[in-house]
Amino acid sequence: MSEDIAKTPAPEPERKPPLGSWSRMYLFVLGFLGFLILLFLLFSNTYTR
Amino acid sequence: MSPIDWLVLGGTLAFIVLYGAWKTRRSRNIKGYLLGDNSATWATIGLSVMATQASAITFISTPGQAFESGMGFVQNYFGLPIALIIVSAVFIPIYYRLKVYTAYEYLESRFGLENRLLAAFLFLLQRGLAAGITIYAPAIILSTALGWNLSLTILLVGLLVVFYTVSGGTRAVSLTQKWQMSIILIGMFIAFALIIRGLPENVSLGDAVSVAGMMDKLEVVNFSFDPSERYTFWSGILGGLFLALSYFGTDQSQVQRYLGGKSVYESRMGLMFNALLKIPMQFFILFTGVMVFVFFQFQEHPVLFNTTAMERVYETNYADEMRQLEARHRQAHADKKQAIDEVIVQLHADNETALDAAVAELKVRDTVALGIRQEAKDLLNRSIEDKTKDYDYVFLTFILNYMPVGLVGLLLAVILSAAMSSTAGELNALAATTTVDFYKRLIKKDGSERHYLMASRLLTLGWGAIAITFALFAHLVENLIEAVNILGSIFYGTILGIFLVAFFLKKVRGRPTFIAALIAQGTIFFLFAFLAKEVAYLWYNLIGCGLVLILAWLIDLVLPRKEA
Repeated sequence: MSEDIAKTPAPEPERKPPLGSWSRMYLFVLGFLGFLILLFLLFSNTYTR
Repeated sequence: MSPIDWLVLGGTLAFIVLYGAWKTRRSRNIKGYLLGDNSATWATIGLSVMATQASAITFISTPGQAFESGMGFVQNYFGLPIALIIVSAVFIPIYYRLKVYTAYEYLESRFGLENRLLAAFLFLLQRGLAAGITIYAPAIILSTALGWNLSLTILLVGLLVVFYTVSGGTRAVSLTQKWQMSIILIGMFIAFALIIRGLPENVSLGDAVSVAGMMDKLEVVNFSFDPSERYTFWSGILGGLFLALSYFGTDQSQVQRYLGGKSVYESRMGLMFNALLKIPMQFFILFTGVMVFVFFQFQEHPVLFNTTAMERVYETNYADEMRQLEARHRQAHADKKQAIDEVIVQLHADNETALDAAVAELKVRDTVALGIRQEAKDLLNRSIEDKTKDYDYVFLTFILNYMPVGLVGLLLAVILSAAMSSTAGELNALAATTTVDFYKRLIKKDGSERHYLMASRLLTLGWGAIAITFALFAHLVENLIEAVNILGSIFYGTILGIFLVAFFLKKVRGRPTFIAALIAQGTIFFLFAFLAKEVAYLWYNLIGCGLVLILAWLIDLVLPRKEA
């Protein structure tokens, strides 16, 4: 049993996203969503009479 | 269509199909065929996920929708990035750890066989029917607008897709989707640039946007709590979240796209790529539609864009009435154009008071023109009982009549590529689920690699045949189309509920979840059959999922536990 485990190749170390860690990546995506919604609001208010 | 357009259309489609089949001709084992040997990078996954979701209807219908009712539809996608974060953080690591081929395989390791089979069966039922519609819906619109033979259009799209999905499996699907998505994006950008160039010389892009805003087409975000409003921020972020969570987390046609990744990193990045780009892309497609709307304010357009349906009306007793409406619409359009010209003059003069008066006049004239268009739609329904939406023909009418030679072919290639890319993803996923969750699990457990590869190929072919046959006969059951369109919402809630119990209610066992899922699905069927008017189908996702979660937890408390 322990031999089997020893034979199993170690999984590749996970590459990290450019922002450092996944939670920061997710925060970035949420921030971008908020930014888009604000931008859309501004866009609507500027052009709707 | 000119010979050059045919050449561009044929050349583009042939290149994509042959490229996909040639590059993947050496699929030798089941892992390569169903998971693409885990070789996909995040860019391939990202484009593949996007291409599976973007069907031909996205490109035919969405600009028309903006033409008719403005940009509010984009709110439906507000929940999508949040859903993708949850899938990326919770679903992906579990699927990878267990090295599953299908999402439903995971359910067996968590709950036992019955839940796996139930979820897989519900998926096959809804996706199997939906695959036919993915081919049929654009084919009916293309054949009407271009005068193509409906059955031939269905067979062309269907057989091309079956050819490369059967031969190359998942890798062929994602490789071709990468090209298809590139063609789609390039085609849409060129179309947008040409629309802007097609505006009158004294109208700049800024003027066009101002006119669209004055005509109430640019209200993107709506915070209203009124449930009768179709698209609001709240329905978008809540309904959109649940829909996207079910679709990306538990629908094999999407799960298979990111399970083919090299690593958890590549899959997650592929989804984050979509989380960032999906809303801007939908915004852009809708904005293109709004610019088509502005274009048609300066250029006369028919009272109804579905000219084939109009010709059928001319053969009935309603012909005279329709001709009168056309004449009235021509006049109303001319009056409206005069008002818009005045608006442009006042915009350039920067005279606020005069501009307000001109806008008020424009709105009055627009209401008159819209009223006539509505009368024409009603007459169409009365005379030939046509149930298609006229706005589906707006963008196609624009492409066919106002785009230069060559580009018409390219944009039709965009639409057919989108039809093919979604269908390919669906057939590939249907075959994977049937092979892995049913054939390999229940019928033949000890087959060789070669055997399962052959079975997957035959099942892809079989599902392709079912989808094409369904598409060929879909016109006989026209009223069922809408039912099929909402099939996703009928089953998604239950499937998502089972997965959420598995992930988040760790103590709840398989049997209570199975019973809860059956009750939830029964309740949704009941709502659909008897209370369809009272409960909008978008809520089925939320109700189904919520019922599974609550009932599974309650039944688990009541149902006796076996002695260890």
